Amino acid sequence: MTKLQAKNIVKRFDHNGTSVVALDGINLNVEEGDFVCLVGPSGCGKSTFLNIIAGLEKPDSGEILLNGKEISTPGPDRTMVFQEGALFPWLKVIDNVEFGLKIAGIPKGERRQISERYLDMMQLTKFSQSYIYQLSTGMKQRVAIARALALDPEILLMDEPFAALDSQTRDLLLVELQLIWERTRKTIIFVTHNIAESVVLGNRVAIFKHRPSKIKKEILIDYRRPRLAEDENLLKYQHEIIQELKSEVIEQKKTGD
Amino acid sequence: MKARTLANKLIFYVAIVAVWQLVFSLHVAPEQVIPSPYSVGAALGHGISSGSLLFGIGTSMWRLGAGLAIAIAAGMVLGIFIARFEFVNQVAGSFLLGLQSIPSVAWVPVAFLWFGKTDGGVIFVTVIGALFAVAMNTHSGIKNVPASLIDAGRNMGASGIQLVTNVIIPASFPHLISGFKQGWAYAWRGVISAEVIFAVLGLGSLMNIGTKSSDISQVISILIVIMFIGIAVDGLVFKRLERAVRIRWGPTS
Repeated sequence: MTKLQAKNIVKRFDHNGTSVVALDGINLNVEEGDFVCLVGPSGCGKSTFLNIIAGLEKPDSGEILLNGKEISTPGPDRTMVFQEGALFPWLKVIDNVEFGLKIAGIPKGERRQISERYLDMMQLTKFSQSYIYQLSTGMKQRVAIARALALDPEILLMDEPFAALDSQTRDLLLVELQLIWERTRKTIIFVTHNIAESVVLGNRVAIFKHRPSKIKKEILIDYRRPRLAEDENLLKYQHEIIQELKSEVIEQKKTGD
Repeated sequence: MKARTLANKLIFYVAIVAVWQLVFSLHVAPEQVIPSPYSVGAALGHGISSGSLLFGIGTSMWRLGAGLAIAIAAGMVLGIFIARFEFVNQVAGSFLLGLQSIPSVAWVPVAFLWFGKTDGGVIFVTVIGALFAVAMNTHSGIKNVPASLIDAGRNMGASGIQLVTNVIIPASFPHLISGFKQGWAYAWRGVISAEVIFAVLGLGSLMNIGTKSSDISQVISILIVIMFIGIAVDGLVFKRLERAVRIRWGPTS
């Protein structure tokens, strides 16, 4: 069953008075339970596309369908894990995880039960009473994932969540995220500029072409899980993506970005 | 507070009184100009035993509390409003800044003509003195909320008032506190100024009485009370609020 459909999404930006096309007709179908990575050079509009799916930005034309219904506003059915976590410093870890549940009006006791379950899943139980500044970057992203999952979304959106992590922490979270995905069967769209990361995580990797931005190619990664970052069998997929992106980078240099 | 800091503080205050006593003993100025620590202490003692001092403190604090509460409530609403509608800030921003720069005491004649020598007049001066400081700080606090936090709130289903109360206000809390702190300082100046001029009860009015009877000890004793109320409010209210921020945001903020 198709979970999410993006139909011909166009987005323009005003840049010093001239209109720049950031997204030039993006089409994407995501099946229920799929794990899709969007990869491309920085500035290619992949994060903008994710924000449009989240309803945080509006496209100039095109539509997003979730379970066949058009959506245009933000909603807890599409929770996001932001690049820098975007956690609330005034709330303890557990209250951060409960935030969306509180907004939804779920009673305190039930809220606590749910948040404790996800804190446990992300191995954060020890830190439930900590404030955000006390956590390492990796811990923060765990909290962000727990917070997004606690709302039991239809689809989980992840915007370069591991970009700021050191490589050991990242490798660990790459494996953990796969286990969580297998356990929860969530549909995930994961944005990254890191090719290795995209082939470790994705069932499918959509390669973004730069300005005007389109999906240039999608490749399927049919390989057993959990995959490890250092697995050499993944290299051929990486090479395939690099070849596709190479022309992009050259193109980018020519236009002087 | 560490015992050592406390001891040092005590030594500091004792030293001030000692220097004061020394200056008095040297007779550099007549007693009507520089009173002895003892006579100021006696004036304080008399104020306490007659009940006039406590009544004065109560009256001034009541006016301060009422004025500051109104100023904080209205100032926050105003601050949120100008933050929400940027054109209001563009159009009226410098006007508000101008209003903020008017010293509280300059509103006293206006208060007199509008409200007379009443509680209402004093409270008006208090409110108007603090209002714009609270509003400007609320505005800049809201403007400084990272966009990602607002996105996160919206993403998890918050919108409208819920977004304001659950994300925007708590996120700007560190700024709000400095607004309240500034607001309180202006409000306290406003209360005392209006009371001195209007002479309608309160600590300012007690100073006024001291001046009229050329009783410098009385005037200085009230001055000391006003100062210690300032120290107490800072310690009991703002130090705690600032600690609450440090606990959450971390020691660097």
